[in-house]
Amino acid sequence: MLRRMTPYLFVLPLLGFIAVFTYIPIVQSMNLSLREWDFLSPTKPYVGFDNYRLLLDSREFWNALRVTAIFAIISVPLRLLLALFIANQLLRETLVSRLMRGALFLPSVTSTVAIGVVFSWVFSTDYGMMNALLSSFGLPKVAWLQEPHVALWVLIFVNTWKQLGYDIIIYIAGLQAIAPELYDAAAVDGGRKAHVFRRITVPLVMPTTYFLLMISVIEAFQVFTIVDVMTKGGPAGATDMLVNMLYRVGFNLFDIGVGSALAVLLFAFLITLAVVKSRVIGRKVHYEA
Amino acid sequence: MKPENPFLAVLALAAGLLFLSPVLYSIWMSFQTADAYYTGNIEFTFHNYEMAIGQYNFARYLVNSVIVSGLVTLIGLAVATCAAFAFARYTFPGSNLLFGAVVATLMIPSHITLIPNYLTLAKAGLLDTYAGLVLPAVSNGFAAFFLRQYIRGIPRALDEAAYMDGASPLKVLWRVIIPLSKPAILSMGLYIFISEWNNYIWPLVAIGREDLYTLQIGLARLYRVNPGEDIIDWPLVMAASTITILPVLVGFILVERHLIRGMMMGAVK
Repeated sequence: MLRRMTPYLFVLPLLGFIAVFTYIPIVQSMNLSLREWDFLSPTKPYVGFDNYRLLLDSREFWNALRVTAIFAIISVPLRLLLALFIANQLLRETLVSRLMRGALFLPSVTSTVAIGVVFSWVFSTDYGMMNALLSSFGLPKVAWLQEPHVALWVLIFVNTWKQLGYDIIIYIAGLQAIAPELYDAAAVDGGRKAHVFRRITVPLVMPTTYFLLMISVIEAFQVFTIVDVMTKGGPAGATDMLVNMLYRVGFNLFDIGVGSALAVLLFAFLITLAVVKSRVIGRKVHYEA
Repeated sequence: MKPENPFLAVLALAAGLLFLSPVLYSIWMSFQTADAYYTGNIEFTFHNYEMAIGQYNFARYLVNSVIVSGLVTLIGLAVATCAAFAFARYTFPGSNLLFGAVVATLMIPSHITLIPNYLTLAKAGLLDTYAGLVLPAVSNGFAAFFLRQYIRGIPRALDEAAYMDGASPLKVLWRVIIPLSKPAILSMGLYIFISEWNNYIWPLVAIGREDLYTLQIGLARLYRVNPGEDIIDWPLVMAASTITILPVLVGFILVERHLIRGMMMGAVK
């Protein structure tokens, strides 16, 4: 009897934590999204889909969705392209290449808050590094974080700077898994570098690309910290992302219903994306070299 | 190691320094007096650190961060290792389903749990406690998955030999599996510790009391004390930022290759 219970006892603590802090909360969020509540009042009246309607009728939601989508659509391909290109240059096991990998990887394990603070200084109007640089070339100062059209690009830049090293490391692992004979064969056939890169490297590293695409899209749609530190969604909502809106609605306005509705919509979107991608990966990625 | 083209090597190192220059400069700035910084002079001082640690309570935040990240790492590893052992070595009714439930957490975006977890902890009276910071962060599907893959690579014959000698499953886990999984457990420990050290949104939600702030919350607050460009005391803020970055930075330099190898193993499996 005890013998048969053994594996269950081993998995119980982990599954207990997962149930209480991951799976039950999903159901709770769905339930709360159909109710009106402010954290305090003793009742949580059922209001059907009112919260969703409220959300879909608000300019705030569509603005946050648009801003987050732009952030994701620009920063994800940018990250992957840069990372693949750089990783391809850092494949050799030399001292310099190892130092470079370390330097590039460092920001991805560094505190996002600290990076946000440091880059708030870099891009600050009066004392920042960027404007000092511009001035030294005789160019006018830019109000990087106060200009609605510029602030989002600054965030994309900083996020790319932070995450790039992780993508590079994963790409290096993927690239090193490509059989060297393939490159040798291409060299014998007299393939030019760019040609080899396009015809051999890119297709064979596709599984890695899918993996990175999946996690970076999910990450991009959940971006919060860097925005909260650097712009708080401003100026005038120009950098207001979905999770920043979720935090504001839930924990500043205490509108649990609408906050939960927003959480459920974003959840549904990301899960759909993840499922679709795992299907795609399942189909396309099984032609290993 | 192959010889380098010295020209390319110098170029690459310069590019690396340029890439890290904002962080490097922020550390430099943290040792400057505010006056010197704003007038463009150079004047070394530890004053910013004295201020951050004394007046702004960053020593306390540092202790809080160490306690919370340490607890999350230890409990998280224990829980994940036990589950990984069971999933690697036993087939039991529901094992596939349960393992699927663990792996699926990798795809579940954490924002969906924010409001309900806040409510759960409020009901349990655990807001504004260490437990409130630690408990929701303990389960780590990635660590469980990663360790299970690793343990499957350990020959079963070693388990069998121990069982022959009359060892219990717990003893096999403790005496055979864990010692042989040390590199993987270490990698995951680092990964969990760093993630928790840098965690921002959950402490932001769960902590209101100043004396329970982690470094991340303390730093964000200090920077936002006086919003508006001109009043920010940048050298002071950079001292606080350096305190926040430094433990991970030092750890990273010590175990960089280990950490990177762990990341690679995780991605390629």
